[in-house]
Amino acid sequence: MHDILDDYAHSNALRETSPHLKLLLGIGCILISVSSTTPVAPLFVALTLSLAILVLAKIPGRIYSRLLLVPLSFALISAVVVAFMHGAGQPLYSMQLFGTTFSLREDGAELAILLISRTFGGMCSLFFIALTTPMIEIFATLKSLHIPESVIELSMMIYRYIFVFLDQASRIHCAQVMRLGDARARSSLTSFAMLSSVLFLRSWEQGERLIVAMDSRCYDGKLGLMEEENRAAPRQIIAVALYLIATATISVLSRDISLM
Amino acid sequence: MHIMEGFLPHPWWEIWFGLSLPVVAYGVYRMNKMIKDSRETLPLLAVAGAFVFVLSSLKLPSVTGSCSHPTGTGMGAILFGPWITSVLAVIVLVYQAVFLAHGGLTTLGANTFSMGIAGPTVGYLVYKAATKARLHLYLSVFLAATLADWATYLVTSIQLALAFPSATGTITSFEAFAAVFAITQIPLAIVEGVVTALMFKYIVALRSDVLLRMNVVTQSTIKRLKEAMS
Repeated sequence: MHDILDDYAHSNALRETSPHLKLLLGIGCILISVSSTTPVAPLFVALTLSLAILVLAKIPGRIYSRLLLVPLSFALISAVVVAFMHGAGQPLYSMQLFGTTFSLREDGAELAILLISRTFGGMCSLFFIALTTPMIEIFATLKSLHIPESVIELSMMIYRYIFVFLDQASRIHCAQVMRLGDARARSSLTSFAMLSSVLFLRSWEQGERLIVAMDSRCYDGKLGLMEEENRAAPRQIIAVALYLIATATISVLSRDISLM
Repeated sequence: MHIMEGFLPHPWWEIWFGLSLPVVAYGVYRMNKMIKDSRETLPLLAVAGAFVFVLSSLKLPSVTGSCSHPTGTGMGAILFGPWITSVLAVIVLVYQAVFLAHGGLTTLGANTFSMGIAGPTVGYLVYKAATKARLHLYLSVFLAATLADWATYLVTSIQLALAFPSATGTITSFEAFAAVFAITQIPLAIVEGVVTALMFKYIVALRSDVLLRMNVVTQSTIKRLKEAMS
């Protein structure tokens, strides 16, 4: 039912590497992908970071390939719209729909390819962060970036309860399916409403119990966070810096390459 | 309706970050004040945020057969108001990006604006207006949740159209995006409206004190609804 990437973040081979370094690499690659003007650099990022995920972090290939399918649907639909709406130049392909002619032109096609490759580059970088860095370490990094205390507090509690509620939701869902709760459109709608309201009420009660539990442990508005120091080794820093510089250079050098 | 990572080009993703940031910052300010007033708000906000995340990770029974997820923002706006919902939305959107690969980091600003600010604001205003017009509670909830979803979907279409204007201008591009997404979003919003209204029915029946405490409904409304039920 759920593919929570966080499970892998706790058990991958890059777990002990400094979280600051991994975040720097991921976010750097996202920024390079989104600001490059040709598909070359994003595709390079997608390829190299996928290799890093599969080889360095040792994430199973079957799971990673299924993950890559998630962004595809949105990217494809939107890219098709962009391709047909945009641009000038030679029409490559035309079709008639509802009495209007839609034609795919050179500019539009090129932009659509660029968008899909940017999305892929960005998603691979995001997957790199998600699959290698546990949330707790991201919180510690956020804290050192002076994000308001209450927001981090709230995020940590939300994080904790996501897993509790996912578990409950999937149990309720199983119970409903076993009783043919999804047999018809109408009953599946009622089942879904029942599931969400029961989930809401349970989570509310859980929240009330949480207040009591935290009060009795002298909660003063701050949850302590144990931060393990995983300092980056100099050669790791140099490797990441070299990689980012190389990717940025590729992005700059390939800015005038045109596909058509 | 999440915009995927990498889809919005420079300068648009920065612009949407700039537009969302002040609203969220004011939301944080409001939230801090609320926490100072009553300390039990934070855990309740936390479970509400987790609930929104879990709800959005479940697949809605969809009419068109496409894979579609509820947003849950209409619910949040009715309970906590649009400002605080925007803070919850940012956190939930980051988790959706990192855990489920829905949305992204550079598009976080744009997604926050459509799902965390525009949708909840519309939902909240519709709910307030509908209660003032003395509409039935469930009808008001249905309208608020459905219109919040439509607002989200229209804003997303506007965001994409502004970033990718067509040869004949932004308007035609907006129409194209809106038309393509309408196939899934219009029925989806109605389904979410029905589900949210049914949820309110269960909550009124089982724990109406929750709604009273958040000042969502008045004592007399609850009394009338309970009488109608029995």
